Amino acid sequence: MSRRLAAAFWFVVPFVGLVVIWAAIVALTGVDRRVFPQVTDVARAFADMWASGELATHVGASLQRIAIGVVAALVTAIPFGFALGISRWAAAFFSPLLRFSVALAGIAWIPLATLWFGTGEQAVIFIVWNAMFFALTYNAMLGVQRIPTELLRAARSLGTTRLRMFSDVMLPGALPSIVTGLRVGLGYGWRGLVAAEIIATNAGIGYSIFLAQRFFRTDVIITGMIIIGVLWLIVDRVLLAPLERRTVERWGMKAVVS
Amino acid sequence: MSVSTDRARPVAGRRRGWKHRLAQNGTVRTLGPFVPVVFLWWLVAELDVFPSAFFVGPATVLAEMADLIYKGILPSYLADSLNRLWNGVLFGMLIGIPAGFVVALSTWARKLTWPLLMFFQAIADIAWLPIVIVWFGFSLTAVTFVIVYTIVFPLMISIVAGVEQVPRDVIRAARSLGAGRFRVFTDVIVPGSLPSVATGIRTGLGYGWRALIAAEIIIGSSGLGFMMFDSRRAGEVTGVFVGMIVLGVLWFALDALVLAPFERSTIERWGMVKTAEVGR
Amino acid sequence: MKTLEISGLHKQFVDSYTDEVVTAVGDVSFAVEQGEFISVLGPSGCGKTTVLNIVAGFEKQTDGSVLVGGREISGPSPERGVVFQSFALFPWKTVLGNVVFGLRMRGVPRQEREPIARQYLDLVGLEGFERKFPHELSGGMQQRLGVARVLANEPEVMLMDEPFASVDAQTRRKLQEDLTGIFESKRPTVFFVTHDVDEAVFLSDRVVVLSSRPSQVNEIVTVPLERPRDWRSVLDDPDFRHTVTHITDLLSGDESRVVQADLDSA
Repeated sequence: MSRRLAAAFWFVVPFVGLVVIWAAIVALTGVDRRVFPQVTDVARAFADMWASGELATHVGASLQRIAIGVVAALVTAIPFGFALGISRWAAAFFSPLLRFSVALAGIAWIPLATLWFGTGEQAVIFIVWNAMFFALTYNAMLGVQRIPTELLRAARSLGTTRLRMFSDVMLPGALPSIVTGLRVGLGYGWRGLVAAEIIATNAGIGYSIFLAQRFFRTDVIITGMIIIGVLWLIVDRVLLAPLERRTVERWGMKAVVS
Repeated sequence: MSVSTDRARPVAGRRRGWKHRLAQNGTVRTLGPFVPVVFLWWLVAELDVFPSAFFVGPATVLAEMADLIYKGILPSYLADSLNRLWNGVLFGMLIGIPAGFVVALSTWARKLTWPLLMFFQAIADIAWLPIVIVWFGFSLTAVTFVIVYTIVFPLMISIVAGVEQVPRDVIRAARSLGAGRFRVFTDVIVPGSLPSVATGIRTGLGYGWRALIAAEIIIGSSGLGFMMFDSRRAGEVTGVFVGMIVLGVLWFALDALVLAPFERSTIERWGMVKTAEVGR
Repeated sequence: MKTLEISGLHKQFVDSYTDEVVTAVGDVSFAVEQGEFISVLGPSGCGKTTVLNIVAGFEKQTDGSVLVGGREISGPSPERGVVFQSFALFPWKTVLGNVVFGLRMRGVPRQEREPIARQYLDLVGLEGFERKFPHELSGGMQQRLGVARVLANEPEVMLMDEPFASVDAQTRRKLQEDLTGIFESKRPTVFFVTHDVDEAVFLSDRVVVLSSRPSQVNEIVTVPLERPRDWRSVLDDPDFRHTVTHITDLLSGDESRVVQADLDSA
């Protein structure tokens, strides 16, 4: 218990330090608070956004988009990646194309997406899906390719059929790599979401900070940035970390760090 | 005695002629797959599957590209984008590499900064654009700031991971062979963590690249991102296609000519398969 | 009755770097009786693992035939279970899950699986570890699990590919004795590949000694030891020492011939 307390303490200390330094700098240098807001200004902006329900609307809109995008990416990328992982021919053919696409994935598609789907929900979800798809596909492929040959042989000599091979060997075997892909992909997807919201919608956190920039409300901008950071940490701690703990770590298969 | 069905199959070897050699050729293997894709693209455009306001064929795109090059727009925008990227990467590495080693080697620095690192990494770099615009206006400084930001954090985190991956026994071996703390750092820890630095730069560049495009779309007055978004505003899909292809080719070249050789020269040359990659 | 019959086995492959044709297995023929423990022994690189891989159905021979129960084999099958040097356990399945795996694949009803699996876990001394994951077990225990997983499928022949090569020396002795115990009580047919002469003699009824590449059967040595066996008494047994010396001579004679050939060609 005391160890957890100590860990929590050491987690909080740097943030407290940062806030203190921030407050001190603003107070001592007398910088224009419209350019660099004081800690209290940001706290007030947060309280206002919370009270007016604005915060809930924006966060809700963003989370909904990312959720739909993630599910769409998982459903499309995993089967495709597995197909590439199984067939050496398909992997050789698609690998250069994938590498080309990874470079473009996400933000670079915003002009085209808004042209195709107009400005709105569809374009943003397309960007999130697009940002994640290639990283997920690539990692799913690597995951299958990296399952030790002996494990596949063991399964076959225990009488595993093709279909069972997929569900009982390949899926769990590739999971560490898929989780990595999810991490990397979510990183791109998250940035794609923010960028797309700036350009293509009228709700969401990305939109809210850009609206604030137009009105020179730096307090609101910083509130939005903090929320973006906190939301990502929550997604990481609530979604990805437990997934890793329950599967990859429990099974003693170290996660692939990227 | 039953005869194996395999008997009739000649032992490969003589059969492996020019087809085999062609398939082994690196350039063919890399560029070959693009041939059918471009053909498919041409076919879809030719058959008018999508309206031409949304989708144009390779010929149109090539013509536009030639036109933009002739007018000098594409080269100058390209130079602007690359210049911004280079600035960002340079300063990002100048800050990120020393900072990364400090955090990796000093327990105190680690304790005090690690949670902050995680948090700043979590604030998507693009979210800095609005405040950066307020601070620096629509300037090169603003774009550079965002790119530096995207590079520094992945780089620092990778370096910490890399230093941790240096086997303790190798460090002990160096110490017992008479290396002092400084020599252990320069001769063991730095080379040992190089593969991670390479990975970190690659990850950082991946994010930096996207941030650059986003920044140019949002605040740009030149550059590839600006060109694409400007075309989109005018409803000219051809310009958007040109931009995407240039971006893709550029990354491909960067990856093939700079990043991959650097990784190969460290990781593969030393036979250091990243332990994390083995995953078992 | 012959459980496994290997005749005229020949395997060539093309080295993907040099494009040269390499003969891994020259001409190998021998048979394994039902309930017999047979070891294949040979100098390193002589293709003994290739022979096992062909019998397992992982690789295809260039020529020759492999019959199990009188039928030509085709591909991997649970009738020929394999114990790997690297254990090859499923890390995402518990100990019980690993043993049950083969039964599930064969469609054994759910309520029958567990009692069978527990019976084999008891046999290899893993009772009480059912809920653990493989990485939580020691190397020796992992390989016990590898054996239980194959035996639970009741194969015609159990194939073992240097199964104890990656455990420490002390554990290896214990595992060898336990394997002998299991063999003496259950009498499965075992095809065992190793490069350790002591191990081969201690475990086997007969030892197939292969020559170096391209491999041929040099001699099939019958081990004149009584069962049940344990290391204490076997080590004192002159028959054991005699057989080991004989096989070592066969192997080293082969080696010196290779050295001589190298010298001649130089």
